[in-house]
Amino acid sequence: MSALNEKPNAETLPASSGGAILQDGHYLAPPEDADGKVWVRTTALVQGTPQDLYALWRQVEKAPLWQEHVEEVVVTGVNTSTWTMKYGEKVHTSNSQILADEPGKRIAWSSVDTDPHEAGEVIFEPATGDRGTFVILLMEFRRGKLAAAWESLLGRSPKQRVIEDLRHFKAFAETGEIPHSQTAPHGDRGLIGGMKRSLYGENVPTPAGAVAR
Amino acid sequence: MKAVCWMGTHKIETQTVPDPELVNPHDAIIKITKTAICGSDLHLYDGFIPTMESGDIMGHEFMGIVEEVGKDVTNLKRGDRVVVPFTIACGNCLFCKKKLWAACDNTNPNAHLMEAAYGYSGSGLFGYSHMMGGYAGGQAQYARVPFANVGPLKIESDLPDEKVLFLSDIFPTGYQAAENAQILPGDTVAVWGCGPVGQFAIASAFMLGAGRVIAIDRLPERLALARSLGAVTVDYSENDTDVLTALKDLTGGIGPDSCIDAVGLEGHSTELQGVYDKIKTAVMLETDRPVVLRQAIQAIRKGGTVSVPGVYGGLLDKVPFGAAFGKGITMKMGQTNMHSYMKPLLERIEQNQIDPSYIISHRITLDQAPDMYKVWRDKKENVTKIVIDPWA
Repeated sequence: MSALNEKPNAETLPASSGGAILQDGHYLAPPEDADGKVWVRTTALVQGTPQDLYALWRQVEKAPLWQEHVEEVVVTGVNTSTWTMKYGEKVHTSNSQILADEPGKRIAWSSVDTDPHEAGEVIFEPATGDRGTFVILLMEFRRGKLAAAWESLLGRSPKQRVIEDLRHFKAFAETGEIPHSQTAPHGDRGLIGGMKRSLYGENVPTPAGAVAR
Repeated sequence: MKAVCWMGTHKIETQTVPDPELVNPHDAIIKITKTAICGSDLHLYDGFIPTMESGDIMGHEFMGIVEEVGKDVTNLKRGDRVVVPFTIACGNCLFCKKKLWAACDNTNPNAHLMEAAYGYSGSGLFGYSHMMGGYAGGQAQYARVPFANVGPLKIESDLPDEKVLFLSDIFPTGYQAAENAQILPGDTVAVWGCGPVGQFAIASAFMLGAGRVIAIDRLPERLALARSLGAVTVDYSENDTDVLTALKDLTGGIGPDSCIDAVGLEGHSTELQGVYDKIKTAVMLETDRPVVLRQAIQAIRKGGTVSVPGVYGGLLDKVPFGAAFGKGITMKMGQTNMHSYMKPLLERIEQNQIDPSYIISHRITLDQAPDMYKVWRDKKENVTKIVIDPWA
């Protein structure tokens, strides 16, 4: 059990995977935040085979299409890539390496030499009854409580960002696009309308997904 | 373009706003030829549905001509005439595959807001708060329609707009209400609220074989429309009229087989419970006034079905769940799974089985809309349904 609470790691499914939901038929609760580590586990039922969904996720250079704040991903090796993130005017670059890669089943990764540290794991499991694939995502961040609170205030908490990114991935995989309403025409918002947009997380740009024309 | 904007509770303005643009490959831009004010728009007007932002464009019942399509829209082209359903569905998620279109997983960009309140999010809706997507509505000259390959229904005959416009919401909503009522031939069906949805629920109940339909309201013009469809009517505002007694009298003491609540969260009552609800909603200890729901659960016969097309938003108080359990009733409800009903109902219109335009009382311009919201809310001028021509 200790491995489960330690990190998304490179061991095989299902017994000791950090993101696993079941072990020997027993439900596993997600890891709890502790010691500056913020954990988030979220799942989605996605129409598609584990193989196809794995392949879409593994194309890291496509991540800007469906992940919030990601500007560009440059593949630098079989298992390494460089990520450029944009938060408002602030640009942040980090290197990532894949720690485990099991086609059609699971990918685990971690940031390298960057602050703040991030690590993640995604598992693709066939759902029962021909319902598609369970995509299970576990992410670990290192954030002080203040930093996490500050990010929540500015738009999304890191936890909500992970949930939104899996939601975007699902829409992108199922329909080829991500729903957008932020650019909808409207009349004068006024002060209160503008404040509500921030409150509802609508100031975080929705990833493009696809182009219309 | 011109559009009707929500600027706060009881504040509606017609403003000039930017034209919509294609954003996604399955989008279409529709030039709107007719649109309408829905009874459920009053819940926005009165401030009962949260997460509206000032400037939001109202309206979810509209039709028009396709102006432009995104690169992946294959079934529509510029110049096609379409009716647009108010619920937006992707067509590919598990729920769309199960034909639960209103439960679509992929069309609400603000799904997290609805998840916080409801556990899970339903589909996005046009012009109906940010919790339900934040999409611009159709009380405007143009609208962007996402997933246009799934939603809009092409009208290929030369039927006038007014006969097909209500396929965008209230006709399918009334029909689903009757279907959810699980009517068997000869059944007695009671319908609370003879507004547009109630009218179509009455007409649909007869289509589905109801033997007797009892229509309950207080407005003479609405009750007259209901009688014109063959319903018997109960005016609850008349002296000495008690709805539960009336329903017992009209059903040999057993109660209706099905009850349809076409009123929803802003129900009125002159009884003590009306005062109770008013106070509780004022101090936010309750969000909805479930007057009709309480009555329907009490009135329904043992083992009967209560169907709820009327919109409820949040938390209800003093709903007699013991009665629901004790009588072993079934309850069915929810937003309309539009996409399943539009085509079959269009066929009924084409075959002259029904002409939905009979409920229209007012034809107005976009500039008249702000005043008409008040008329509609207060049920003045014998209003039964308001249709807007955005280009008049």
